[in-house]
Amino acid sequence: MAKGRPNSKRYKYPLPIHPIDDLPQLYPHNPISWIYWTYCYVKKVNALERKIKVELTGKKYVHILVKDNNDMLYLWENGFFGTGQFSRSEPTWLNRATNRLLPNDEDKKNQVALEKVTQIRRSQRAEFKKEREKMEAQLLELRKQGCTAEEEQEFIEKERETLRELRSKELLLSSIDNELKFRYEDNELFDDMGNIIQLESLELLPVEAIFLTFALPVLEIETDHLFRRLAGDPKNVNYKDIYGLIKKYVAYHHYRSHGWCVRSGIKFGCDYILYQRGPPFHHAEFCVMVLDSEEKHDYTWFSSIARVVGGVKKTFVLCYIERLISEQDILKLWRNGQYHKVFSSFKTSEIIYKRWISGKNRD
Amino acid sequence: MPGQFEKSNNKDDNDDDVDLKNSTNAVDSDLDEDEVHQDWSQVAKLTKKALKAKLPKRGEKEYEPDGTEIQDAMLVNARKAMYDTLFNSIRGSMLKNQVKAFYIPDRHVAIIPHPKGNFLQTIGRVDKTGICYLNFLEFLYLAERGTVTPFLCNDLNDITNGNEYQLSIQEIYSFFKSQNEMDNFQVYAHLKRLGFIVFPSNSFESGKTTFYPPTSIFKKYFAPSLFKSFYLRIGLIFSKYFNSIANDIFYSTSNFHYMKYLNSISIYKSLNKLIPYHKVPKSKLELLDQKFTIDQLTTTNREFELSFDVWKPQVNFKKKCPNLPDFQIVVYNKNDGSQHFPTYHDCQSIFNQLDYKFGFVQGKDDFDWDSHSYTDEKLRAEYLSSLKSKAKQSNASINTKVEGKKKKRKINSFPPHVQQKMRLKNGYRSFLLAVIDDGIISFTRMTESDFGSENVWYNPTNSKTKRPTRKK
Repeated sequence: MAKGRPNSKRYKYPLPIHPIDDLPQLYPHNPISWIYWTYCYVKKVNALERKIKVELTGKKYVHILVKDNNDMLYLWENGFFGTGQFSRSEPTWLNRATNRLLPNDEDKKNQVALEKVTQIRRSQRAEFKKEREKMEAQLLELRKQGCTAEEEQEFIEKERETLRELRSKELLLSSIDNELKFRYEDNELFDDMGNIIQLESLELLPVEAIFLTFALPVLEIETDHLFRRLAGDPKNVNYKDIYGLIKKYVAYHHYRSHGWCVRSGIKFGCDYILYQRGPPFHHAEFCVMVLDSEEKHDYTWFSSIARVVGGVKKTFVLCYIERLISEQDILKLWRNGQYHKVFSSFKTSEIIYKRWISGKNRD
Repeated sequence: MPGQFEKSNNKDDNDDDVDLKNSTNAVDSDLDEDEVHQDWSQVAKLTKKALKAKLPKRGEKEYEPDGTEIQDAMLVNARKAMYDTLFNSIRGSMLKNQVKAFYIPDRHVAIIPHPKGNFLQTIGRVDKTGICYLNFLEFLYLAERGTVTPFLCNDLNDITNGNEYQLSIQEIYSFFKSQNEMDNFQVYAHLKRLGFIVFPSNSFESGKTTFYPPTSIFKKYFAPSLFKSFYLRIGLIFSKYFNSIANDIFYSTSNFHYMKYLNSISIYKSLNKLIPYHKVPKSKLELLDQKFTIDQLTTTNREFELSFDVWKPQVNFKKKCPNLPDFQIVVYNKNDGSQHFPTYHDCQSIFNQLDYKFGFVQGKDDFDWDSHSYTDEKLRAEYLSSLKSKAKQSNASINTKVEGKKKKRKINSFPPHVQQKMRLKNGYRSFLLAVIDDGIISFTRMTESDFGSENVWYNPTNSKTKRPTRKK
């Protein structure tokens, strides 16, 4: 697979606020280097030079969108925030469109979108299965003619060898064929300069937006304003309105702040999935369901999710959120805009839910 | 497995990058001869492995009839073997070997006046006169298996008079006191049939082994070290205030303009002060601390009680004073309107009741449970040596004796980041929940875990030793 930049460089920083890591070398015997160092230290700041623009659309269901191409990439590469609207997760639509319509554009050529990789793999797998089915049919024919066990064994051996060869060939030839297909409506994708217009934008989860505003000042939006849009006017909210958001955010912040890359777990029937470092590096190994410590569900509820989660070889984590102060106090803090005090008034704890199979635990 | 292929490719590429960097570094920097020499055999192995394409695995369920006689013949043969075995084996029991058990309705137990048989190793309780007492579950289980012949005994004299009334299995079932007891029987019988050793959790008055030392020993040996942790706890209260001040600063609007963060880790450390998390006991000392100090402060609701102690199949099980169980089970009937799936607080109260082989405290290779558990107010090792009989219970399960079986790799031998992953996945204290749905049992393991004490962030400055170990 061709690659533009190595992952270790591309995803160097786990958070969109970068540390000050380009201070000059300090020579203990050279006082000038001390002065220069101090100058650099004082001058440099962690804060972003230019915050990222977001658009909030929708009244009841707020969509938080980032539209600038570079901003989208920045949020993805520094902590894997948001989801491209036309993509699986990383906003790759523009690249894919360019690859499809302008295959000679050298800059973009060597970046293969993950969606494309999956597509290739699936077609290969289908091809393989077809081949295998053919061989199986031959074997059955052989059996019907009444072959001996040795003959059958020999055939199975041959079948395996052929399939293995096919597989190796597939792996070698897994380069990407650029089929040039131009549709009539594609004309509308180009601007006057002949470049493709970016149609995709990056949509952030509410919790991601809170994290990027309240915890790390990355988005160009006021924290108060964001909360107002997400939960309603703080003057007339009641506890129920804000609690859902608080619960989700407390869990999100908890895992984010211990180094996990937290993404939505909707595809696995739970609230979050946890990646170590990020999606390009590892599979997610944990699925998190966020629950209130008083919350009750029946067994079927638990076992349904656990079976889905177990089916994709992940660990099912129940994350319980416990309120430490009264609802009235929470509301008071919320109205005063002391959000960090609100969030630190909830405690998290985890219980792992796992199916236990009696026959497999005897030794 | 969709996804596997693409990810592994990605990762390989990444590894290649790292490897390349390392090799150039080695050449550039200090030209130690040891480092320049390369081991090509390893590389050869890798390329060989990479070239040999693996065939995708197939599922297990492929029993479709293919219309050939061979398949039919195989099926017939297999069936015949089963029927022959069942048909030719002798049914019934030899009169000489018959064991009679008498059910006493008043006391809801059964007695065996002349106990004999292998089952006695793991079932029943023999008193000084040599009579074996079975609890009701044991009685029914043995009767169902045909190991004992069940009789009714309204009057103890009946036994000597020969005035016997033999019970049918149906009649025994009518003696169940409650649905709850019937649920318990299902779990009991299921596990017994699989070879587990099962006793009701409250069945030992004397000779009970516990992980927790008696108060006298605790005060003498463990309290001093816990006293330190008492100071730690005071420290914790203070650190709470420090945290809240730190949070005030961190979440102020101009934080990143006047505070300087020289690496990502320091940003993470400031971030993770915000949400408090529940610390679970992870070591022997922390477990004792929980038991003797914290446990006394909080009143636990006892809606859920442990039902069974379970030991893995093992030889030389000593039923008079068994060692710590391997699992503890809570039984829950999902169709009983008066019961509910344990909530968080229920789980906590069950965790606090647990007293089994806490697997996570045994760090070293030669961890001896006898010197970490207590029987009759004494260290179990001492207790056992004080017993006259030298029938010391061997902890070995049968399977460790089978040679050639792969031994489990010790946790300590894994690299730190793998150990961390194992800690997160395996968790700490755990109990089994047996969920009953009209005769079908489903087991679930509920385990405490602690994501708050583990940090998994990636440290870009030293990617080699990137994952910090557990906070103490």
